[in-house]
Amino acid sequence: MTSLIELAGITKVLKGQKEPRTILDGVGLTVRAGESVAIVGRSGSGKSTLLSVLGLFDRADSGTYTLDGRDISKLPERHAAKLRSSHFGFVFQRFFLLKHLTAAQNVAMALVNGQGWLPRRERRTRVMQALDQVGIAHLAKNRPAKMSGGEQQRVAIARALVRDPRILLADEPTGALDTETGTVVIDALQEATTRGCALILVTHDRDHAARMGRIVDLQAGVLTERVPVLAGAGVDAPTTELPRIGGPA
Amino acid sequence: MMRLSGRLRSAMIIGGQGIRARKLRTLLSMVSLFLGVLAVVVVQAGAGIAERLQLSDMELQNGIDGTKVLYGVPSAAGASQAVADTLKGRQDAVAMFSMNAVIGEPGVRPVNEGGAPFDQDWGGVQVCDASGRCVDENAGKPKGQAIELRITALTGDIRPFRPYRPKSGQWLDFTTTPQLAPRLVLNEEAAKGFERYHVPAEMRITGAPHNMTPQLIGVVKDGDSQPHAYLRLDELTNWLPLDRMTDPSSGYTDVQVALAGSTPVESVLIAKLKALSGGADMSAEPINSRKEMEDQLDLMRVIFLAMASLVLIIGCAGVLNVGLATVGERVEEFALRRAVGTPRAVLAGIVLAENLVTGLFTAAAAIGVSVAALKAVTVVLGPSEPFLQGVEFPWSAGVSGVIAGLVAGILGGFIPAIRAAGIPIATVMRA
Repeated sequence: MTSLIELAGITKVLKGQKEPRTILDGVGLTVRAGESVAIVGRSGSGKSTLLSVLGLFDRADSGTYTLDGRDISKLPERHAAKLRSSHFGFVFQRFFLLKHLTAAQNVAMALVNGQGWLPRRERRTRVMQALDQVGIAHLAKNRPAKMSGGEQQRVAIARALVRDPRILLADEPTGALDTETGTVVIDALQEATTRGCALILVTHDRDHAARMGRIVDLQAGVLTERVPVLAGAGVDAPTTELPRIGGPA
Repeated sequence: MMRLSGRLRSAMIIGGQGIRARKLRTLLSMVSLFLGVLAVVVVQAGAGIAERLQLSDMELQNGIDGTKVLYGVPSAAGASQAVADTLKGRQDAVAMFSMNAVIGEPGVRPVNEGGAPFDQDWGGVQVCDASGRCVDENAGKPKGQAIELRITALTGDIRPFRPYRPKSGQWLDFTTTPQLAPRLVLNEEAAKGFERYHVPAEMRITGAPHNMTPQLIGVVKDGDSQPHAYLRLDELTNWLPLDRMTDPSSGYTDVQVALAGSTPVESVLIAKLKALSGGADMSAEPINSRKEMEDQLDLMRVIFLAMASLVLIIGCAGVLNVGLATVGERVEEFALRRAVGTPRAVLAGIVLAENLVTGLFTAAAAIGVSVAALKAVTVVLGPSEPFLQGVEFPWSAGVSGVIAGLVAGILGGFIPAIRAAGIPIATVMRA
């Protein structure tokens, strides 16, 4: 299988402080279509920065970023915006739903973004399909204030999926949810990988990470491949190697 | 083309959602802008109405634009008769024979010597002979109850050329048989004099062998500050021969002929008068009051527009303030929109679209208020101020209001739009 994403030697240095701080230090990562990858690491280890670089929110100081065999390391912003629209779906820890819009309108936000134009009927169909994929089509007309956290996150996932992205980037999507609801959300994200969409999940939750096809660990800006996990093969992965937060030392 | 359309539509849809979601802020922006746009609309409408008012005042004295006026009919024998005969019964040309008259006690000094306005004193009237020796016309006479005024005898209805505004009573009727007692229509200043002074109804005109008893039948506004009266020429000629009306020795006399722009009478009359005066050069001059007052109006308009622009700029500052606050509140929304692929230009377009729509709403409100106010003014004041009758809201004021609203929307929304477009996407990652 050919790689969808290839990062090589990605470096990102945080400037504007007394001492420049290296956030990403020669990161290399390859992700294939339909693959799910968990990025784990301590707070401040650079996970979100890596996700920003992957999602074309930010640009690396050095290194190469290849998407579908095309070098996009130095892509101008307007082309990056187009790629974000066509290739990427994003899910954040805070759901970032606009409170004045209904669930359907929040999902439609990804379609009404100035990148091409879809007639209203087609827009509605795709929005309802996306909401249906995450199991909340019946909440299409509800505003976020009338939905639970899990439902809101599923609306956010539907928004990420509505354009049939090739890569789904999720930044701690279960961070604000209880375990049970978090599992439902991860289910919804993994469902997308069955349709060939790559999933890159930043998480602190070892159980959710264990459900991904691969786990990579980011420590002090350096990325290392951790234990391969045979997802769904009945093998209990050695999750003890994952970093822990809190608890006894 | 399709791409541009998609961007435009996206900006409009999202802008519309933003306005609906923030009705109070939209209202605050509109309030900031309202006075500015209203000022522009009022200045533009006011300039149009002032132009009409000023023009209508000028029309009273000079004549309606397009009218031609033949000044200085020669005093040659037969000239007055030629004018009267040529214009008799015609509506496309009217002659005006003007002279001074005194109404009141005989042998006294009029209360307004020389036909002065009643609140002014022009002093005694000096009459000079051919050798240049001048004497006081009323020397030795005691002050008495008499009013001196200018009278103008007309061959027909002058109002198609000079739209005198009726104030009370009636205007001269040229279709009836002339009466021996000349019917006078006074202007407002003359009416003021007759209201202030009770004078005997006896009218004297230099050159007339007999005094006459006039009838006052109406009052008009004619734009003249001197007391003035209008009467039918055929009623005056019962008492004063036509040739005496243009006789320089009869005092200050004047003959003018108002002609419709393209009447054939003009050439006929001029030919006759030329023949009588031995070929003296004469021509009718067209009235173009609008052009004459253009400079004056332009200056007035510039001054008022400058004031309106100042108010508009203050309104823009208000919109800018509200716009920046709104963008500050929507940082996460804009970052999120960028994350889902919305280009910076569309984000700026969303903010601009919101401001443009707000500007248009404001312009509509300001135009609506102006139209309603003008309607109210014309209904309330129209009957007493005829120039207001039929006044309609000038379309140019509406266009100016819309342009002002759009410009204010762009000016007020420009900086917030740039700020919205520059919000980093990482904002949502750090939140």
